[in-house]
Amino acid sequence: MITLDSETFAYDDGVPLLAGLALTVRPGEYVVIAGASGSGKTTLARLLAGMTGADAGSVFRGSIALDGETIRFTGTPTDPRIDPAAWSSRVAYVAQGAWGQLSMMSATVGEEIAFGPSNRGVPPERLRRLVAEVAAALKLTPLLDRDPRRLSGGQLQRTIIAAAVVQRPRILVLDEPFQGLDDDAVQDVAAALEALRRDGTAVVVCEPMLPLSAPSGARVVALADGRPVFDGALDEGLRAGLRRYGIGAAGDPPRVDPGIAADRDRRSPVPGPAHEPHREPAREPDREFDPPLVILRDVTFRYPAAGEPRPQTGLTGVNLSVSAGEIVAVRGPNGSGKSTLLQHLDGLYRADSGSVTVGGILIRRQPTGALATTVGYLFQDTDQQLFERTVLREVSYGPLATGSRRADGARRAAEALDRVGLGALQNAHPYELSFVQRRLVALASLMATGPVVWALDEPTAGLDEPTRSMLATLLTRHAAGGGAVVLATHDAAFADAVAHRSIWLEDGRIRGTSTAS
Amino acid sequence: MPRRRIYNPLTELLAAVLLVVLVLVVNRWEFSLAVLVFGVLPAVLLSGRARQIGLAIVLVAGPLLLSSLLLHGLFFPEGSTVLVDLGIARVTAEGLTFAAGMGLRMTVFTGVLLTAAMTMDIPELLATMTHRGWNRKLVFIVGSAVGLLPHVALRAQQVTRAQQARGLVVGRAPLSRFRALVAVTTPLVIGLLVDASERNSMLEARGFSSPGARTSYLPDTDTPHQRRARRAMVAVVGVFSAAWLVIAAVA
Repeated sequence: MITLDSETFAYDDGVPLLAGLALTVRPGEYVVIAGASGSGKTTLARLLAGMTGADAGSVFRGSIALDGETIRFTGTPTDPRIDPAAWSSRVAYVAQGAWGQLSMMSATVGEEIAFGPSNRGVPPERLRRLVAEVAAALKLTPLLDRDPRRLSGGQLQRTIIAAAVVQRPRILVLDEPFQGLDDDAVQDVAAALEALRRDGTAVVVCEPMLPLSAPSGARVVALADGRPVFDGALDEGLRAGLRRYGIGAAGDPPRVDPGIAADRDRRSPVPGPAHEPHREPAREPDREFDPPLVILRDVTFRYPAAGEPRPQTGLTGVNLSVSAGEIVAVRGPNGSGKSTLLQHLDGLYRADSGSVTVGGILIRRQPTGALATTVGYLFQDTDQQLFERTVLREVSYGPLATGSRRADGARRAAEALDRVGLGALQNAHPYELSFVQRRLVALASLMATGPVVWALDEPTAGLDEPTRSMLATLLTRHAAGGGAVVLATHDAAFADAVAHRSIWLEDGRIRGTSTAS
Repeated sequence: MPRRRIYNPLTELLAAVLLVVLVLVVNRWEFSLAVLVFGVLPAVLLSGRARQIGLAIVLVAGPLLLSSLLLHGLFFPEGSTVLVDLGIARVTAEGLTFAAGMGLRMTVFTGVLLTAAMTMDIPELLATMTHRGWNRKLVFIVGSAVGLLPHVALRAQQVTRAQQARGLVVGRAPLSRFRALVAVTTPLVIGLLVDASERNSMLEARGFSSPGARTSYLPDTDTPHQRRARRAMVAVVGVFSAAWLVIAAVA
């Protein structure tokens, strides 16, 4: 059992969080910590994981009790230090952002999963058996010999969860574990967590939105602006009106800014349905589209084997056309080739055969950078995309690299930041921002260059309800303004609400298309 | 094609380190040249990655050679045979000889160590060290040092791809490639530092600092024969080095 009693917590900016929060998690319990970006859920997860942040200038006042042993913190330099090795043997933690959690000491998925138990001296035979069991439960067995650094986003996420589950902790804390996972993988992870719970492990899951389903007896603790606003059963939480705190429910369609309806209706040959604020899907089912901005003809692509027994999935005979004004969702299981397909649109990958035409430009041997004014790309892993030392420099990079003058580049960057609501953070370092803010910086970076085609890889992963709705508005407005959007996503509700059409990929082939009804 | 592996990576790494020790101890250009021609060169050519290793050696050893040449070639205090007098600097035969000897040694060091590092099966090396009961932090340091190059290369590739997606044009001309290299350097270093600090806490969260012996998921590929060979190599090089230094001191 773990009990957190927080009087207050503050990072080095001094803003108090988690004031007066008391949380007890009992063996076998399933607790969802729900909250919008900046609500303090990651801070709470890190405290449960024994990371008080004292070495980074954070101040925590309160206590943490684990299995009857209480550690008190007064926010002074004389506070006790938690032994991370001893603590993590009982409390396992899966943070956000799978890439940063790789040990970088493992060449295969099997070794990566085994890293924790091997650190604790589990004998090799038992180690291999444990890894085999967890890999089978999370459908990772075919990937055990793959390099973890070359997995798809969803496969990597499952690997990191497997690495935590294999430690058989007393308490397992997961910060947005279902981010970027397909439906089957979500069920596999849920089943693995249930198996742990049956053995008495308590599971704490942080989510930006309330899940529509959770194990029986699941409890929700909702946070807003660093303070608890709800503590009760999930079904009560779903009826508690938490949307006013920016906490939506997974599966809800995004809300679209009513102001966009006017823009959209001007371009639509068929009047849209009567607009209902907060609920109306953004798409226009019956509209006619302009000529194609994206044309893929019989595209086939293979990754180099790189010595791996099972190389990544490529593409086989992909045909796709996306018109101006259209939003197309690319859907399919993890590792089906969605990101690969998207990276053909901006020339990061080049087709082995077939052709790719974007914005009227046939992609042949021209440099990738030359296509940036036509296609903007949002990477699945935001932290791989950000490389400058201030937010403004980051967002200005695209305009400057594509020929804008310095003043013009800064102006376009400032405008893009205003559009995503980050105008006040121009001078912050991207790494100081929250996950959702970093995601928005990456999006603003794309927007500032002004490309007509947006290729977005899992744009809603990890977003809270207000940001998800803002994104829906931005995409719809871009399409209404004559642009095209191609997004790879597992967020069915978002795709159904925003996209005009979904294509389904499996093993690098298009297996079907569904048009919005 | 990658080369066929004959020896355990720990044996290979030890051989590379001992070769460096011998070059340092013997300290003669003839020996350094012999190691370069009969040791490093065949190893690079047979590595299956001759182009990448050759490029890495040029990138690392090139600046070292240049600085050695400038420093010792122009400013060698003991130099008496003046070839060119430039006023504040003098090019002397002794200085050039010294610079050539130093440069040769540095080339051998970088050649031996880079060839070993870039052909090493790192997971097998770490597994062997773990099975042999080495200190886990030492294993991590060795693993990080040897594995740094591929990690940096991967991170640099990610940053470059992100920059290209935002408009960086990398042409085929050397100047364009150099500009791309400069553009990637700052974000690469910052990214690696941030990675390192985040990874440290994540390693802790996965029990990396646990007391007691660590185990390995990979099987032990080391053999008693190779363990004996490693001990013998250390003993032979140790005795030879001691004898060489004593003889040199007496002479």
